[in-house]
Amino acid sequence: MAASDKVQELHVYEMNERDRGSPAYLRLSQKPVNSLGDIVPFSNKIYRGDLEKRIGITAGMCILIEHKPELKGDRYEAIFSFYFGDYGHIAVQGPYLTYQDSYLAITGGSGIFEGVSGQVKLHQIVFPFKIFYTFYLKGIGELPEELLCKPVDPHPAVEAAPAAKACEPHAAIANFTN
Amino acid sequence: MASTTTSLKPIPSINLPSQSHRALASNFSYSKPFPFHGLNLSSVTETSSFTSSRSSNPFTTTAFFFNKFKQEAAPHTPKPAKVQELHVYEMNERDRSSPAVLKLSQKPVNSLGDLVPFTNKLYSGDLQKRVGITAGLCVLIQHVPEKKGDRYEAIYSFYFGDYGHLSVQGPYLTYEDTYLAVTGGSGIFEGAYGQVKLHQIVFPMKLYYTFYLKGIGDLPAELLGKPVPPSTAVEPSAAAKATEPHGSIPNFTN
Repeated sequence: MAASDKVQELHVYEMNERDRGSPAYLRLSQKPVNSLGDIVPFSNKIYRGDLEKRIGITAGMCILIEHKPELKGDRYEAIFSFYFGDYGHIAVQGPYLTYQDSYLAITGGSGIFEGVSGQVKLHQIVFPFKIFYTFYLKGIGELPEELLCKPVDPHPAVEAAPAAKACEPHAAIANFTN
Repeated sequence: MASTTTSLKPIPSINLPSQSHRALASNFSYSKPFPFHGLNLSSVTETSSFTSSRSSNPFTTTAFFFNKFKQEAAPHTPKPAKVQELHVYEMNERDRSSPAVLKLSQKPVNSLGDLVPFTNKLYSGDLQKRVGITAGLCVLIQHVPEKKGDRYEAIYSFYFGDYGHLSVQGPYLTYEDTYLAVTGGSGIFEGAYGQVKLHQIVFPMKLYYTFYLKGIGDLPAELLGKPVPPSTAVEPSAAAKATEPHGSIPNFTN
């Protein structure tokens, strides 16, 4: 068991810029409403919390669990990773509710995130295009300066800085995952 | 649970995406240097002085106050945990109907939407014993034309018979080595964490893994034989392939 209980916060924006063929909604239930059996692989871009640097991507899938008509949304079980270029990746698993915030479990990581534990808060800004994450990370060394920032407060109009969107060298981490 | 996938016929044995043939012919880069991937060096150098006891609960009550003040003064770094290396070979012997390439994207090239459930045989790193199987899923994320390969998100387990299992999650790139997260385990692997290096020898038939495991007791000698260095010609010993009693672990997973 990792001895360090120090919690480090990391903020990330996930943006679907509609240029990765994502999401791929597989209506395997073959029912007209979202139903158990539907699977949704996805992959979006991620930016540092201040939206000034492109970091990498998310990659994984959502398993539709239940449509919630009274809440006009759905419950998914999500299993995916966040890729941070040369730094490594963080793997997560947990609930994705299209109608409210949720906490997912951090199941592990690689690179600087090797041995990581903790949880991550998922805050949806604009379904399903903009999501703001706050990671509460334990069990790893000090995060590099480059990943830490004063995050931009989430609101519907947030956009990545033009230089970050263009992945200009100063606005992207080394070998950002693409 | 009623199956709703009757319209999906998993393609038996091998149905490799067309890129795979090009990949077999092209030269693989065995391992691209990963600046940050690999062992946390501070933990490697410190484990040599570690005893074999687990690192949980290191403080006695008399030492508590000393350590409390030391901790407040010292910079925060996680206390290094003992790392155990475990080597295994994953071999697709084409007798488990794996992989099952589900072209759910319905596009001619590998695309987001395609899913690839799979299960292969697992051998100890010295290739002397059959230990079990892998089992899980690869989610196609994107085709990478400039690398003549694909990125998958892989979620699967390694089964070690009566010993238990290890679960992993992370990137599988058909064109280079990767590190996956060890998300947990059962049996002797209960509480396991760390990362595992995936080294592809022959796509997608032979893979070599190096686990860097923390949080568990000493691994049994049976799993710690001197590993055979990976090469395209590696094969399990005849006894292991035939799962003879001395060539397999107790109740190896099948």
